[in-house]
Amino acid sequence: MSIAAWICLLAPLAGALAITLLGELVPRRIAGLVATGSVAIAFAAAVVLFVTVLGRDGEERQELTTAWNWLSVGDLDVGLSLLVDPLSIMMALIVAGVGSLIVAYSIGYMAGDDEERRFFAYMALFVFSMLLLVLAGNFLILLAGWGLVGLSSYLLIGFHHERPSAIAAAKKAFIMNAVGDATMALAFFLLVYETGTLDFVTAFERVDGLSSTVVNLVALGLLGGAVAKSAQIPLHTWLPDAMEGPTPVSALIHAATMVTAGVYLIVRAHPLFEAAPSVQDLAAGLGAVTIVVAGLIALVQTDIKRVIAYSTMSQIGYMFLAAGIGAYANGMFHLMTHAFFKALLFLAAGVVIHALVGEQDMRKMGGLRRLMPRTWIAMLIGGLALVGLPPLSGFFSKDSILASALATGDTYGYVLFAAGLFGALLTGIYTFRMLFIVFTGEPSGFVREHLHTEHGEGPRWMTAPVAVLAALAVVGGAVQIAGIWHPLADFLDSIVAVDRESLALVEPTVTQDWVTSILAVGAGLLGIGVAWLIYGARRVAAPRMVALRNPLERKLYFDELYQTVFYYPAVGIARGWTRFVEGPLIGGSISGVAGATRGLGRGVGQAQTGFLRTYALAIAAGLAVLAMVFVSVR
Amino acid sequence: MNGPDVTWYLAVAGVLFATGALGVLLRRSPLIVLLSLEIMLNGANLALIAFARQQGDLDGQIFALAVMAVAASEVVVGLGLIVAMARRRLVLDVDELTTLRG
Repeated sequence: MSIAAWICLLAPLAGALAITLLGELVPRRIAGLVATGSVAIAFAAAVVLFVTVLGRDGEERQELTTAWNWLSVGDLDVGLSLLVDPLSIMMALIVAGVGSLIVAYSIGYMAGDDEERRFFAYMALFVFSMLLLVLAGNFLILLAGWGLVGLSSYLLIGFHHERPSAIAAAKKAFIMNAVGDATMALAFFLLVYETGTLDFVTAFERVDGLSSTVVNLVALGLLGGAVAKSAQIPLHTWLPDAMEGPTPVSALIHAATMVTAGVYLIVRAHPLFEAAPSVQDLAAGLGAVTIVVAGLIALVQTDIKRVIAYSTMSQIGYMFLAAGIGAYANGMFHLMTHAFFKALLFLAAGVVIHALVGEQDMRKMGGLRRLMPRTWIAMLIGGLALVGLPPLSGFFSKDSILASALATGDTYGYVLFAAGLFGALLTGIYTFRMLFIVFTGEPSGFVREHLHTEHGEGPRWMTAPVAVLAALAVVGGAVQIAGIWHPLADFLDSIVAVDRESLALVEPTVTQDWVTSILAVGAGLLGIGVAWLIYGARRVAAPRMVALRNPLERKLYFDELYQTVFYYPAVGIARGWTRFVEGPLIGGSISGVAGATRGLGRGVGQAQTGFLRTYALAIAAGLAVLAMVFVSVR
Repeated sequence: MNGPDVTWYLAVAGVLFATGALGVLLRRSPLIVLLSLEIMLNGANLALIAFARQQGDLDGQIFALAVMAVAASEVVVGLGLIVAMARRRLVLDVDELTTLRG
């Protein structure tokens, strides 16, 4: 089992290294195949792990393998170790499975790009980093994976390095994530100081002995990292800008895998969060706020990828909500189905963008339904799954989260439930606003002029992964059907540090499930109806509501706020230091020393006449003076 | 002990040294300067040998031999330089050779 885990982890790294080191020896197409193959090997290894674990029971489902002792300081030993348990296997399956589909899609999408090899090396590097993150056996390895995914995300967002906006977006993502990395590292320092270990299993065992302040601080630090990586409010502003990256990158990193790492972290470290209930409530609250705010902003976006990006934020808000109220399995379930349908939406949007020579502005699109019928169907499946209509996958996962919120039975839970329900309505509106604008009506002038579909709707490399993901988005929800069967929850029950019957803290009743489903589907349908009236049938003009529209179009001024609070003061202070301290004090003192030395040298240099006889006379005279001194002193 | 007193030897050594020093200070030709240097060295050698004889100790004589060896090597280098300069048709005048001034 441990060998399969190592193969799963290292295959993408080997692929990345091979592409990088062989350079131009590898033809472009082969580089894509190498990347796809290496990720597919990782997926196969993850499947082997899955099957192996299915054959075992309870405690035996966890296995910690340590390659070597990486760091040893005093009592602290940190090994390069992997933890294989149902949770990490589930994440590895999603990462490598969806990852291999998206890397395969990239072969078609990136064909003809100048730097395909670099792209595929980065993609394989990302998959390696993400697998390191999810398979990590202790917090330090997790932090290493955490940092590496941040790095590969930075590299891929800035892949089109000739575009200044892409570079700016990459830097923004990196810096926002660094804030989260810092709080996470601080949490780990505190954890090491208090418990003396970074091992998941041991650390969780020692949580009970900690004071509530320490637990709260550690959980808060971890939450900071999770919020930054998962683009939750208030550290979310990087994700919409990250759409500067190529579309497969958005699908893989900024929808299906990396941004869900925060959810994974909360589920993985759930004993810590449960010991700090107020922090866990905060996680749920942030999730709920993000659901609503991101949903509202998505209503007015004009860039097709940004709509999906805000939708991603909103959906991860649901997962945070689930993790925050202790419905871990439901959160992970939504993580999985979301990976399917959101990757599908991104890839289908990528097909559209590819066919329209890179145009992403929805206002220039329209009437693509008849021109690209299969893409329309794929997009429709993704959209319906996103809104959560039965029997598509999003229905089962989103409703189970909402039902769990209802099942908490307290006021806070009802507020969260209401926010989630309102989010479902918004999801219906913004998703179908996008679909209707892009696909219905008459083809726009831009479409008629620029659409090129000589390969059908796209190369086979692109359409095949879209088809597979569409199938997964349809049937993926059947893994767990509330009230009928719940194999996924049972599978996750045996993860590390669960010493109770069931992982979940809340268990909705059948009535609550029904009520939730009816309300959520109703909200979704209402949203679709509103979108149809305004953007599909165009019977109702979009409400103007300038007072609301302007703040939303400016993304609720988060960028401006951070600009004012952090950027301007920092730049102002730096300018002040340059002008009043560095210039006169540091620069002045250095040039003063240099000037004095130069003057002294020039003065002494006057004595060097170059006349040999002057020197000889000086020596003779000096000797005579010395002789006289010796004689007279004695 | 035969022969004149050590004072006489020192007087001769002093005259030799002064002659050489004047030659170094006054003459312009590098060849003569080199020659005068040799005279200075020989004055010093004479003083060394005179004292060695007075003390009945051979150290001074050995030191004088070492000085001769060094002087010989120095002349080789110095003459080599002068010949090289002459070949390049540089002016053989120490007052003109001031390239290395500060």
